[in-house]
Amino acid sequence: MILTDREIRLAIQNRLIVIDPAPNEKAFSSTAIDLTLDENISELKEGEGGLEQAIDPSHKDFQPERTIELVSRKIIIPAEGYLLRPDVLVLAWTKEYVNLVSYNRVAARVEGKSSLARFGLAIHVTAPTIHAGFDGHIRLEMVNHGKLPIRLRTGIRICQLIFEQTLGTPERGYQGQFSGQGG
Amino acid sequence: MRVRIEEIGTGQHPSEKVVKVETIEGPEQLLVDKRSIRERSLDIGFPVGQKNGHLLVELPRETFSGLWRVWVDEQMVVG
Repeated sequence: MILTDREIRLAIQNRLIVIDPAPNEKAFSSTAIDLTLDENISELKEGEGGLEQAIDPSHKDFQPERTIELVSRKIIIPAEGYLLRPDVLVLAWTKEYVNLVSYNRVAARVEGKSSLARFGLAIHVTAPTIHAGFDGHIRLEMVNHGKLPIRLRTGIRICQLIFEQTLGTPERGYQGQFSGQGG
Repeated sequence: MRVRIEEIGTGQHPSEKVVKVETIEGPEQLLVDKRSIRERSLDIGFPVGQKNGHLLVELPRETFSGLWRVWVDEQMVVG
């Protein structure tokens, strides 16, 4: 069941959903809330000619963040914006910090905006679920599938968050038979 | 409740930290927001299983190896 704007506001008022900075009135639609683009992005580099590289995620020594650091460059989006070229993958973040309190019966999905999708901008790569208990700035995996570069500026409405009520409380949010037995 | 962690690095965003959790099958690493870290521990809600002095806990984010739930020694869980 998708939460409406009224239910989202109530959840925010009751600190069951935390969004910081708080969204303004224009960020709401009937069943979603818009989030904006942070100034930090990481652009994945193109491979160099004559050099064969591959990622091995199941290797015992695989370090995803280290790998990303090696194959990307960090950019602070300048005032004139960042030009996302076709077929380039960048990691980006929402400006807003989001916390879905773990005992709350809410999870969310991050989805694109049709206003940007029509030019080919995808904001995630098959990983849209924001699980109950998540906290942090949402990491976006953005690709320009269009034919023309897209200029991205800090603060643009980049994605929308759709909140869904779960059926029941997740086990980790329920003080069951294992509570009080640690430490 | 919280699980003890060790900070081992930073993420791509200034708000991100890479942390390590010692599980009974070896260390697992995950990326978290630095606001999540308090006194070298992370909120895990309540344990979701118990066996032979070990607790099954769900981490707040997926580990680099793709796990959400890991078995840890009881001593790793506090609060």
